[in-house]
Amino acid sequence: MLRKSRWTMFTLLFAFVMIMSACGNNNKNSGSSASQSTEPSKSASTTASASAASSSAAAPAEGAVDTSKEVKLKMIFVGPKPVDYDSVFAEINKKLKEKINATIEGEFLDWSDWAQKYPLKLAADENFDLIYSANWAGYNDQALKGGFLELTDDMLAKYAPQAWANMSKVSWDQAKVNGKLYMVPQNRGESVEKLILYREDLRKKYNLPEINSPEAYATYLKTIAEKEKGIVPFTPETGDWKFHNLDRVLLKQQNEWNMFDLDMPFAFKLTDEKGQVFNVYNTPEFKQLATYYKDLADHNAWSKNVLNSKNDHQADFKAGKTASITHNNGTLGALMALMRQENSPYEVALADINQGKKKSVAISTQNGTSVHATSKNPERALMAIDLLQNDKELHDLVMYGINGVHYEPVGDDKYKALDKNPNYTGFSNWSFNSPLNRDNEAFPQEASDLVKSWEANVYHYPLETFVFDNSKVKTEIANVGNVMLRYGIPLEYGLVKDIDKGLADLNKQLEAAGIAKIQTELQSQIDAFLAKN
Amino acid sequence: MSATELNADKSFAKTSGVKKTDQKIFAAIGYGALTIMALLCLLPFLLVVSSSLTSENKIITAGYQFIPTDFSVEAYSILFKYPTEMIQAYLVTIGVTIGGTLLGLFLTSMTSYALSRRDFKWRNGFSFFFFFTTLFSGGLVPWYLLIVNYLHMKDTVLALIVPLVLNVFYIIVMKSFLGGIPEAIVESAKIDGAGDFRIYAQLILPLSKPALATIGLFLALAYWNDWYNALLFVSDEKLMPLQYYLYKMLGNMDGMRKAMMGAGAVVTTAIPTESLKMAMTVVATGPILLAYPFVQRYFVQGLTIGAVKG
Amino acid sequence: MRLRSFWHDVKKYRMFLLMLTPAVVFYLLFAYIPMAGIVIAFKRYDYAGGIFGSAWNGLDNFRFFFDSGNAWQVTRNTALYNVAFIVVNNALQIFAAILLFEVGGKWFRKIIQSSLFLPYFISWVVVGAIAYNLLNYDIGTVNAMLRGLGMEPVDIYNTPAYWPFLLVLVSAWKGLGYGTVMYLAAITSIDTEMYEAAEIDGANIFQRILKVTIPNLYPTIIILVLLAVGNIFRGDFGMFYNMVGNNGMLFSATDVIDTFVFRSLITSNDIGMSAAAGVFQSVLGFATIMAVNYAVRRYDKDRALF
Repeated sequence: MLRKSRWTMFTLLFAFVMIMSACGNNNKNSGSSASQSTEPSKSASTTASASAASSSAAAPAEGAVDTSKEVKLKMIFVGPKPVDYDSVFAEINKKLKEKINATIEGEFLDWSDWAQKYPLKLAADENFDLIYSANWAGYNDQALKGGFLELTDDMLAKYAPQAWANMSKVSWDQAKVNGKLYMVPQNRGESVEKLILYREDLRKKYNLPEINSPEAYATYLKTIAEKEKGIVPFTPETGDWKFHNLDRVLLKQQNEWNMFDLDMPFAFKLTDEKGQVFNVYNTPEFKQLATYYKDLADHNAWSKNVLNSKNDHQADFKAGKTASITHNNGTLGALMALMRQENSPYEVALADINQGKKKSVAISTQNGTSVHATSKNPERALMAIDLLQNDKELHDLVMYGINGVHYEPVGDDKYKALDKNPNYTGFSNWSFNSPLNRDNEAFPQEASDLVKSWEANVYHYPLETFVFDNSKVKTEIANVGNVMLRYGIPLEYGLVKDIDKGLADLNKQLEAAGIAKIQTELQSQIDAFLAKN
Repeated sequence: MSATELNADKSFAKTSGVKKTDQKIFAAIGYGALTIMALLCLLPFLLVVSSSLTSENKIITAGYQFIPTDFSVEAYSILFKYPTEMIQAYLVTIGVTIGGTLLGLFLTSMTSYALSRRDFKWRNGFSFFFFFTTLFSGGLVPWYLLIVNYLHMKDTVLALIVPLVLNVFYIIVMKSFLGGIPEAIVESAKIDGAGDFRIYAQLILPLSKPALATIGLFLALAYWNDWYNALLFVSDEKLMPLQYYLYKMLGNMDGMRKAMMGAGAVVTTAIPTESLKMAMTVVATGPILLAYPFVQRYFVQGLTIGAVKG
Repeated sequence: MRLRSFWHDVKKYRMFLLMLTPAVVFYLLFAYIPMAGIVIAFKRYDYAGGIFGSAWNGLDNFRFFFDSGNAWQVTRNTALYNVAFIVVNNALQIFAAILLFEVGGKWFRKIIQSSLFLPYFISWVVVGAIAYNLLNYDIGTVNAMLRGLGMEPVDIYNTPAYWPFLLVLVSAWKGLGYGTVMYLAAITSIDTEMYEAAEIDGANIFQRILKVTIPNLYPTIIILVLLAVGNIFRGDFGMFYNMVGNNGMLFSATDVIDTFVFRSLITSNDIGMSAAAGVFQSVLGFATIMAVNYAVRRYDKDRALF
């Protein structure tokens, strides 16, 4: 009832404001608004540059941006509409209206169907201005297909000055596709390295050595398998992955490699100045890892039917059904916090089994915001991004909701979640991540410490900003992905009896699928990239 | 024109007084086989019902249970956390199902009737015209473009009804049923001076109740279970049908947890996904199961056409 | 002359044409107009160009499927599975419908019929979860029972050989109620006099079923089979994906076109490539149904689809 009436009020108010401003606008500024409204041109690749050009023309004077005409921006988020969307966005819009004479209306693509709807919204060229974008949501692809507006340096400097000043060049460069920028990425280096969360009480019970190496971890898993009936030593995360989370620990981190894409079997050595890529499956390291996995599988370190299990590894761990899982620091830390909150009987701890190895941070395109290619108000859209990411007040609102309702600030960089917190969470406001972010004060100290210690080890390498344009080898990538799932994944769970034969089969199939063509293309793009930079 | 319907129970096993050996053997096979089949279908559903009432922890540690050893209604309390929205979703589904089924039944039977008339020279041509659409389709994007950008059906109840109102499968099955009606009936009606539409409405429809009931059931099930059109075309909460509402709820809970990764957010509520999945099945099936026995008489008893001749 | 006879026919059939108008308009609008989108299969789709403005790229979108080396295997799997489903499902449905018609009192039939319909309501996601619960090696019910009986457990999820049987079984189980209703409706439409005549001739119940019921079901059977044949190259994605998932160990026995395409395109999400796969399925289905329909027509004109 309450929600409904508030919504009606809001709509009425909004309609009133719209009418008022429309009237006021007609006399003053009809010229510029007319040139803007005729703007969305149908022509293929000129859209982006045309709008960029005309938008700078529309502004009256250098420096000051004309915001006399009120605009309503439509933004597409990924994730469910938060229960308290109306109240929080009413606050956000009040501030935005004050500052840039614009309001935002959010449309939410639920987790259940965003993967279908997201490309569809772009393909059908629906009417919206802003859209959450991310590498895992096909950012490169959508940009290459012309879904997003190209953001030039001039535009950013003018309409998103704070983001332009605050963001590091690396972050901007990482978000470029073929040298062009299509998103304002998040401004926060987030760790993507995977860790192991395990049961410290069980380790102590069997007097096992500290888990700080792959061998120590194997010992832990085998001991649990042997002695703790009813507990699965390790449960992987389910999903459509092609290299699983343990690979990131045992293959990537352990060998100080990096992979461009976990759906392709290519890696390069972090320290390799020339950026020579190689097929992971062809390396002695991978063979060694497959042997390691086979040994674990033979000792029942995970379920025999691991490929079909849909068990949620975090739920299993929480329920004491599994003795270790892998994920990134943020997720595992959150799980630890939750277990402690609920007074879980299990003592848990994080393990880094690649101590001292070089770590890398997530590329900036992990979360970001893009402007729709056919947005009628690209300037105001950029200004809104700028504020939501860099204005303390607005940033707090969009990230954590209303002070005193959803959260309570603790100092400048922490917050305490209040009871209503679940009513404003779970959607993609992460694109506005910035140094202004607050951390949940319940987050376990050891997890934060670990991240801090990693920060010293973060390694920056020349290929950090390289982005692969796969449009010429799409066919091969589709087929290689399929082969990886069919022949690679079973090897990685030790399900193939004869490793040599399994590897030979895998590589034979990869060759047939055209892996060499991708590698050549990738290498030539890398060479060109390194020559330029 | 005495198109009387006769409720003749055609189960001969019962009508002929003394049971013969062949009937005894047959009855034994029949009862046995049907009971086994029914059990195979019933037990998994019981598993679903009982698991929906089992605590999540028990499901995770011991799997689904036929008897809820650790009873919990948590899944249902989550589903009905916003009872008004749930009721709204039920109402949308019921309304769409009733409206869509009636409209669909009318259009399907009318189309099928025209196609079933042997004296209609172009019936094969039209049949092919319809059937062809089941083989080739332009895919999702053009269809979506048409409905959203040209027909402007987004966020309207039409988007939930129109795409499902006709189905070639139903048209052709109905046509085959109507084809079984003796031509003599139509001929005699024509001699009496009835027009084609009148023959369809006043003569054929009453005669084809089993067919109408079957297609009506299929239409109703299709509407009841549809979430895909809602997924594509509805973002207004007030128009969300039940199945989509449930699908969304589960997907969001599942996805939220997955997407929280990297966000470093602390998920404060644990979601009983497993029992929730089961409870959703129960919640979505319940009303249909309750309504089904009322429709069932059309299939259980014989409603015949042959009787007209008498 | 021909035109005149055409208009004559239009006038003659005007009532039929009028009755067909809603359906014709519906399919023109919702099927034939969007069908123009088939061109996407031959294009390199970009948003600015849209369906018609994007550049042609010949048969490039088809390459991923035919170059994969798996095209033949998955196409064959798809067709074989569908043939098995058609045969087994229809046979069971007819069997159940005949029994339901002949046996039992009102309540017995009602209860049985309702029960048969239950699997239809359980989504494939839940079916997949239940199947895993029953069949997995470590704690699955089936293996727990085998162990209890002192037998060796079976590793179903790593043994492709079990899967054709399992999938046929699950498909039959899920579709039983739906199909039974259809055949039951067909049986109830059979002229009572035929049964009476058979009874007078002294036929026993088995003879009556074989001589009266089943022959009267032929039209329905043929229509349902023909309708299924058109889709013989489309795999039931929901079923295969939820039962088998991404378990590469089973693909040799379980991979169908739809799951294969889904896996190939899961990362690139390419509209053109998925359209290409769809066109491939359509063309094969079209050729098959035309051939089968032609054969049926030669045998009996009235039984054919068109």
